[in-house]
Amino acid sequence: MEMLKVDGLSKRFGGLQALSDVSFNANPGEKLAIIGPNGAGKTTLFHLLGGQLPATTGRIFLQGQDITRMPPRYRLHLGLARSFQLNNLFFNLALIDNMLLALKGAERRHFEMFQPLNARNDLVATAQRLLESIGLWEMRFAPVATLSYGDQRMVEVIFALSSSPKLILLDEPTAGLSTAEANAFADTFRQLLKDREDTSVIFCAHDMDLVFNLADRIMVLYFGQLVAQGTPQEIQTNPKVREIYLGSEGS
Amino acid sequence: MNKANIAGYAGTSWRDWLFAYAPYIGIGIILLIIPAFISTYFQSLLTKVLIFAIFAMSLDLILGYTGLLSLGHAAYLGVAGYTAGLLIARLGLTSFWIVAPAAIVMAGIAAAIIGYISLRVSGVYFLLVTLAFGQLLSVVAVKWRAVTGGTDGLVGIIYPDFGIPGLTLTDTNYYYLVFIAFAVCFFLLYRLINSPFGKALVGIRENESRMKCLGYNTWAHKYIAFIVSGLFAGVAGVLFAPFYGIMVPGHLGLMTSSSVMLMVVIGGAGTLFGPVIGAIVVLLLEHFASIYTPERWPLILGVVFVICVLFIRGGFGFHLSKFWSRLRIRYGNAES
Amino acid sequence: MNVILANLLIGISFGFILFLLGTGLSLTMGLMRVVNLAHGALYMFGAYVGLTAARYSGNFAIGILAGGLSAGLLGLIMETGFLRRMYKQEMSQVLLTIGFVYILTNVTQWIWGPIPQSGVIPEFLSGSVPIGNITIPIFRLTIIAFGLIAAAVLWLFQEKTRIGAIIRAGMDNREMTMGLGINLKVVFTGVFALGAFIAGFCGLIGAPSLGINLGVGWDALLLAMIVVIVGGTGSIQGALVGGLVIGLVDAYGKAFFPEFAYFTMYLVLIIILLFRPSGLMGRAMQ
Repeated sequence: MEMLKVDGLSKRFGGLQALSDVSFNANPGEKLAIIGPNGAGKTTLFHLLGGQLPATTGRIFLQGQDITRMPPRYRLHLGLARSFQLNNLFFNLALIDNMLLALKGAERRHFEMFQPLNARNDLVATAQRLLESIGLWEMRFAPVATLSYGDQRMVEVIFALSSSPKLILLDEPTAGLSTAEANAFADTFRQLLKDREDTSVIFCAHDMDLVFNLADRIMVLYFGQLVAQGTPQEIQTNPKVREIYLGSEGS
Repeated sequence: MNKANIAGYAGTSWRDWLFAYAPYIGIGIILLIIPAFISTYFQSLLTKVLIFAIFAMSLDLILGYTGLLSLGHAAYLGVAGYTAGLLIARLGLTSFWIVAPAAIVMAGIAAAIIGYISLRVSGVYFLLVTLAFGQLLSVVAVKWRAVTGGTDGLVGIIYPDFGIPGLTLTDTNYYYLVFIAFAVCFFLLYRLINSPFGKALVGIRENESRMKCLGYNTWAHKYIAFIVSGLFAGVAGVLFAPFYGIMVPGHLGLMTSSSVMLMVVIGGAGTLFGPVIGAIVVLLLEHFASIYTPERWPLILGVVFVICVLFIRGGFGFHLSKFWSRLRIRYGNAES
Repeated sequence: MNVILANLLIGISFGFILFLLGTGLSLTMGLMRVVNLAHGALYMFGAYVGLTAARYSGNFAIGILAGGLSAGLLGLIMETGFLRRMYKQEMSQVLLTIGFVYILTNVTQWIWGPIPQSGVIPEFLSGSVPIGNITIPIFRLTIIAFGLIAAAVLWLFQEKTRIGAIIRAGMDNREMTMGLGINLKVVFTGVFALGAFIAGFCGLIGAPSLGINLGVGWDALLLAMIVVIVGGTGSIQGALVGGLVIGLVDAYGKAFFPEFAYFTMYLVLIIILLFRPSGLMGRAMQ
């Protein structure tokens, strides 16, 4: 069965139709890229999938279960995690505290009030593993606000991975990164997913190198509508896509 | 690799235990033996300080740690105090084992009801709603003369008894009961703050929407924190009523609620020791003002509020705890 | 029937006072995200100043004007000197404004003493007039008339003027409005001072209903707050609806359940909070 099924999804803000009738599937282990010019509706789609915004019409199914009306925390426990385009971390807290919060959040039992969180060696060990994979274990006591932008971006991604999700949504993961950092990102990310073959990834980006590097399949959004989908080769040669990206500059 | 290094936190060497707990043990010992050295007048003052320290710590749980601005916290102190007063003075039930749990539970129920309604809104509105409920209860206390004695107050609240021969509370040994209560509350709050629940509260304060995405039921966390905070305020209320011997509507009202908020902020919101320091500072100020300029005490308090906001960022407790962690890092085994 | 009609007018009259009181709070909270807990204290101060001014000059109009101006001036100082540095720092605003309340209340006590004062009503507005089978105090009718005019003026200001549009835009998106090159700071200060002026202005007018004493500041703040929550923040309509609802509830409460009159307001507040937290006229939360 497919990991994610989106059926007729649309979102309207007053007079503005941000998304119209978007339908697609994502299979387990597949890496799906969503591209399109600014304002095409990519982040809106992510907010609908993640639960930050309610859909106007349409349905979302995660492994066959209808999650259209579920708040974000239920989606997380069903296996859907996301990262944000703007770093959305606990800036005043230390990196290790950030990680422990994320890891604890993924657990089901929440109202433990007596034993210290820091004594959970299993969580700390997982945090260590995750942080070492992006080379930030030495910085674990630093407040996140003091980390470089690029490092924060990686922490955003680690946050999404911390709950061992079945589906990860990455909203512009390399936004604001230098070319070198962005290139490193693709390799690091692939490493992180090495043990998670079944995890599906949906990401959106403007960086075409990243897209062609990582994606198994690409979807193109234009003014809120899905205008093309296919393998990277198909998209590259698709005349409609060329027109969207190159049309106004003359071919 | 031993456990300590994997944990990445302070090691479990004896030096580190010492540094971690020395201040608490030291202060505990000081508080225990100090009554022998001071007059009963100052002992009474110290008792008052410890009662308000418990009260302030309870507010800090939701104010400093969870980030909920509540301006009606005196309601829970008052509910517990009036409950204890009613049982002792009106119904003649002086057993500590009945009065204390009953009063604390009543405070918790009040917090459960008020919290549920108040948490329908957030931010400034939450503040105003908690303020309104505090005033509401204050007015109830005024109007319900039959039960509360109205503005004359509920009088005749004597010390409860333990039902153990030879162990009776008097003016001189009440301090030790309060001290024990303070130590127990401090310990429980310390564990609560460091527990997953407590850390989640901080997460909610820092970035509630992210917490939701990470799988937390943030509303439930806030609600439970509110109730727990009300329960601890109830503990303060149980100790408060026999100490003053009387409960008046003003104890539920705005002056009390804003004083305790000031204590938390002056001392350092979001630290456990801060509210204790804040209680000391505010009560000392009040003490001296009552001797020299009783008429102008509200004015002085107001000026202190303003100065505090403009100049003291984070409160004394905050700076103190930073100082202490620096000491630990330099001399203890904690990795920096 | 007479009771109902009489209380209807009393309720509407009180409602308009509440509307004015709530407008200042609503605009500052909705627009500037500023908590001004001193709003009630400004009302109180305006009442005292207004009373003294009216007594010395023998003129009611001078009294209310003096009340308004003194409160407006204090509001101006509060905003420019202190509050404008604390955008979005709620705790700081709360503590600061509580501090101001204590200072202002104590200073008022210092000057005028702790004994409650009674308000004054100008000669030509005293007395009552028969309407049908009931008699209504002329003062209350005047308040209704005045309130209608004020509501109309303020509504026009909000909807039809450029400044009104700027204020509404600033409420929706502060950063954007500032980005458009509009000097929002001046607008904020102006709105804040206007709110303070209105509060002080109402002090003397509201005296027959609320009295003039040291505690009236908190009473007024609480009322303003209930009005704002029930009606919804950020709009004149909200303050008007909230004010009238609470005014009527209060009047009928006093008429039919005098012992519990105070609590009827709270009942409305609780119902609104449970079922429509954003207020009767407020935009529903996302």
